[in-house]
Amino acid sequence: MRKTRVFTALSLILVMLSSGCTHAEVEQVGGIFVEGQSGGDAETLNWILAADAASFSYVGHTLDTLANYNNQLEIHLLCLAKDVEVSPDGLVYTITIRDDLKWSDGSQVTAEDYVYTLKNLMFSDWLNYPYKNSWQEDVDGDTVFVTPEVVDDTTFTITRQTVDPEFVYIIYDLIPYPKYITTKYEGDVEAFTQAPELNNLTYTGNLGPYKFVEWIRNDRYVVERNPEYYLGKDSGAPYFERYVIKLFGTSATIQAALEAGDITYCGIEPDKVSKFKSLESINVYTVPTASYTLVGYNHRANGWEGLKKTTIRQALSMSIDKQVITDKVYLGFAEPAFSFIPMTSPWYTDEGIAKYGVEVLYDKQKAIELFYQAGYGKKRADGTMEIIDKDDRLLKLILVTTTGGGLAEDIAFLIKQELSDVGIEVELKLVPWETLVRNYLMNKVPGTDQESRYNNGPEAVSDEPWDLVLMGFGTDVLAPSGSGIFFTTEGGLNFFGYFNTEIDKLFKRVRSKEALDKEVRQQIYAEISRILSEEQPVDFLVFRRSNVGFQKNVKGIEPGISMGYNYYLWYFE
Amino acid sequence: MGKSWLRDYIIKRLIYAVIIAWGIVTITFVLVRVGPSSPADKYLANMAASGQDVSQITTAIEARYGVDKPIFEQYADYMVNLFQWDWGWSFSTSMPVIDLIKTHWIYSFQLILLSSLFAAFLGILIGIYSAVKQYTKIDYTATFLSFIGISIPNFWLGVMLILLFSVKLGLFKAYYDTTLPLFSLENLKALVLPVITLGTGMLAGYVRYTRSAMLDNLRKGFVTTARAKGLPERTVIGKHAFRNAILPLFTIIMFDLGSIVFGGAYLTEIVFGIPGLGQISFNAIFADDYPVVVAVTLIGTFLILMINLITDVAYTYLDPRIRYD
Repeated sequence: MRKTRVFTALSLILVMLSSGCTHAEVEQVGGIFVEGQSGGDAETLNWILAADAASFSYVGHTLDTLANYNNQLEIHLLCLAKDVEVSPDGLVYTITIRDDLKWSDGSQVTAEDYVYTLKNLMFSDWLNYPYKNSWQEDVDGDTVFVTPEVVDDTTFTITRQTVDPEFVYIIYDLIPYPKYITTKYEGDVEAFTQAPELNNLTYTGNLGPYKFVEWIRNDRYVVERNPEYYLGKDSGAPYFERYVIKLFGTSATIQAALEAGDITYCGIEPDKVSKFKSLESINVYTVPTASYTLVGYNHRANGWEGLKKTTIRQALSMSIDKQVITDKVYLGFAEPAFSFIPMTSPWYTDEGIAKYGVEVLYDKQKAIELFYQAGYGKKRADGTMEIIDKDDRLLKLILVTTTGGGLAEDIAFLIKQELSDVGIEVELKLVPWETLVRNYLMNKVPGTDQESRYNNGPEAVSDEPWDLVLMGFGTDVLAPSGSGIFFTTEGGLNFFGYFNTEIDKLFKRVRSKEALDKEVRQQIYAEISRILSEEQPVDFLVFRRSNVGFQKNVKGIEPGISMGYNYYLWYFE
Repeated sequence: MGKSWLRDYIIKRLIYAVIIAWGIVTITFVLVRVGPSSPADKYLANMAASGQDVSQITTAIEARYGVDKPIFEQYADYMVNLFQWDWGWSFSTSMPVIDLIKTHWIYSFQLILLSSLFAAFLGILIGIYSAVKQYTKIDYTATFLSFIGISIPNFWLGVMLILLFSVKLGLFKAYYDTTLPLFSLENLKALVLPVITLGTGMLAGYVRYTRSAMLDNLRKGFVTTARAKGLPERTVIGKHAFRNAILPLFTIIMFDLGSIVFGGAYLTEIVFGIPGLGQISFNAIFADDYPVVVAVTLIGTFLILMINLITDVAYTYLDPRIRYD
C-alpha cells in the first residue's frame, strides 16, 4: 500500500482542492471533468496485483483509503471514524472504521473485510502481493508479518513485535476487498487475476466518490458520480457528473488540448508555464513536490576509483551549480536540494547541512585543489593546477541517464559542461530506462550465478561500467525513513554501493522505540541529513515543483503538496 | 475451365500463408520469450523502492503469468489455446487478448482505410494532372509540394495541424474522441486531421509515382497512335496511358497498405490519442506482454499475406497477360 501513499502524495497530478462547505450555494452537480495524462496507462483495476502508480490512481476514484493528508500535512479521515490509535508502547494499532460504508450488494463493509484482505490476500503465498514487505518486520532475524485481528464490526487491531513510528502511514493507505466476492477466487491466482467483479470494480458501493463506467486501454478511463458516496451525504459531493482520464502520447498534444479547451486539467512543462499563465481561460498553479533529481556516484569496483573518496565527491558536487539548474533548466520551478528530505517535510532541517553546489560551496577552483590534494592533479609550469587520473591522463567519467526526458538531458549536458570547466571529460550515455536498470543499476558479484539485483553487496558490480548517474527519486514527506533503501548497506535500491555503518544505525534508530519521541526522531533525521550532505554519496541537485493548469471554471482548488486529498469537492462554476 | 488455374493458385497461396504465419508466430514467440526481459521488469524500480526482494517478486510475477514454465511448455500451451480461439490474457492491460483486439482494431482500420483512400485518390489525380501539364506552374507546384509532403515527419505534421486547426481556429477537437458513434459525421470529422497526417506522405509519393508512370506511357507509341486515330484526349489519358500506368502504382499502394498495417500508423495514433493496434502492440512490446505481441504479429502477418495475394490476383485482371499457372 506504500504505492497508494506515493500516489496520494503525488496527487498533485490530480491536483486541486476545495474550500469546503462555505460555497454550498454555488456548488452544483454537473459537467465532465477531463484530466489529461501522458504517463502511460494503468496495468489493472484489480489493485492488489498492481505495481504501478497509474493503477492505484484509477482505483482511487472508486475506493477510498483509510485516510490521507491535506496540504498542511494534517491527517484527513476518509474511511476512518477516528484517527488510528497507537498503544503507548508503539506496538498495537487500533483502527476504527465508519459504520456507513457499504459494498455494492448493500452489505456493510466491516473490520472483517479489512482483516481478510490483509491475512488472506496481502499476506498470502498464492497471490504474492508486490508490496507485502511493507507489512513485514524483522524479529530476531526472521521476517514475519504483523498480526491483524478483528475486534468488532468496525474495529480491528494490527499488532507488531517491533516498533516503527512510521508504520501508521502504511495503515492509512489500506483498501479492503469484499470478502463475500473474493473468497470465490481464493487460492487460484489465475481466477483471481481474471475475476470480472474485481477487474470491473463492480463491488465498490459507496466507498469512493465515483463509480466505474469504462476503461478503454490506452485511451480513457471513465467514472461517474456516486450519489451514495459516504462523504457526500451532507454536501452532495462529488459535483462532476463524470471524471475522465484521457491518455495522450506526448506532452505537446496534451497541452494543446488544454489550450483548445478540450480537457479540463493537465500538468504543464516549465517552459510552457508563462504561455499558459497568459491565457485567460487557464489557471496555472505551482506546487511543491517530494521528488528530487540527483547525480549518483558509483562507489562500486567498476566506477572510477576516486569516487570512493569523500573529498573527490565533494569536489565534483562543488563543481556543479545547482542554482543554474534551478534557474535555467527548471526555469525557477525547483529549489536546490541538499538532502533527501524536502523543505515541505516536517522532518526537514537546515542545521548543519553542507550546501554543496551553491554560494561558497560552488567553487570550481577549490574543486580542482581538492582533486590535487587527493592525488588526482598536477601543477603546470605557471603554477595552475589541472585534474588528471592516476595514469597522468585527462580524467574521463561516464555519465548515464535515460533518453527521452528533455529536462534530464538538459541537466546532463549542463553537468558535462560544468565538469569540462574543471578539466574533466564526461562521456554521456543516454539509454532507455530498461537498459539503465538492467545494464547499469542492477548488479551482481562477478563470476557467480547470483540473480542481478539493485544491491548484491559491496563486491557486486553492474554489467556496464559507469561513474555518474542522473536520476529522479521521491521521498515520503511524512515518513522519509523509507529512503533508507537508497543509503543503507542492506538498502534494496542502494545500487551506488555506498556503505556507512553510522548511516545504517541512524536509519535503524529512526524506526525504533526511541523515535516515538518526535524530538528524538527530528534529531536523527537531522543527523542523517548532515552526514549525507557532508559525505556526498550522491549529489542532491534540486527538489522539483510541479505546474498544473486548469480551465478557469473549475472551482475549489487550493494549491499545495497534497492538492487532491479532497478533490471530490471540486466543482464547475 | 475459366480461371481454374487462378483458383488453384489462390488455394496454394492460402496454404503457404498458414505455414508462413505459423512460422512467424513461432519465431516471434521464441524471440520474445528467450530475451533477457521479463514482464516484471517495468515494476522493478517500484518494488525495490518499497524495499521488496526484487528477485523474489520477479519470480512471483512470472509465476502469476505462467512465464516461469519451460519455453516448450509455454509454446505448446499457447498454440493449443490459439487453435481453440483462446489468445491468452494480456497482463499489461488485464483483459483477454481477443477482447483487446476486438476493441481496438476498428480504430486502426478506419484510420488506415481512410488515409489510404485519401492518399490514393488525390495522389493519382494530382499525379495525372501534373504529368499532362508537365513543366507548367501547376506541375512545378505539385512537384514542390510533393517533396515537402514526403519530407515532413508524420508526428510533426500532426502537432502542427492540431495547433492550427484545433488550438488557433477551434475547428477540430485536439484529440480523437472514441465516444463518437462509428458511422457518424462527427466521427468522420474527428478523423480529418489524423487522416491528413497519415496520408500526406503517401499522397506525395503517389503524386510522384503517378506523374512518372504517366509521363513514361504518354511518350509511348500506342499513345501517339491513339491520338493519331483522333481519340479524345480524355480517352487517351484515361483508357490508354493510365491503364498501363496503374500496375506499378497498384503495387506501391498495396505495399504501403502493408507497411502501415504493421505499425506505420503508430505515430499518428500517438499524436491524436487514437487507441489503435499500433499503440497496443508498441506498449505490449515494452511491457513484455507476449500474448499481445504474438497476436498482433500474427494478425499483421496474415493481413500482409492477404494483401500480397489480393495484389497478385488483381494483376491478372489489370493486365490479362499475367498468369500464374
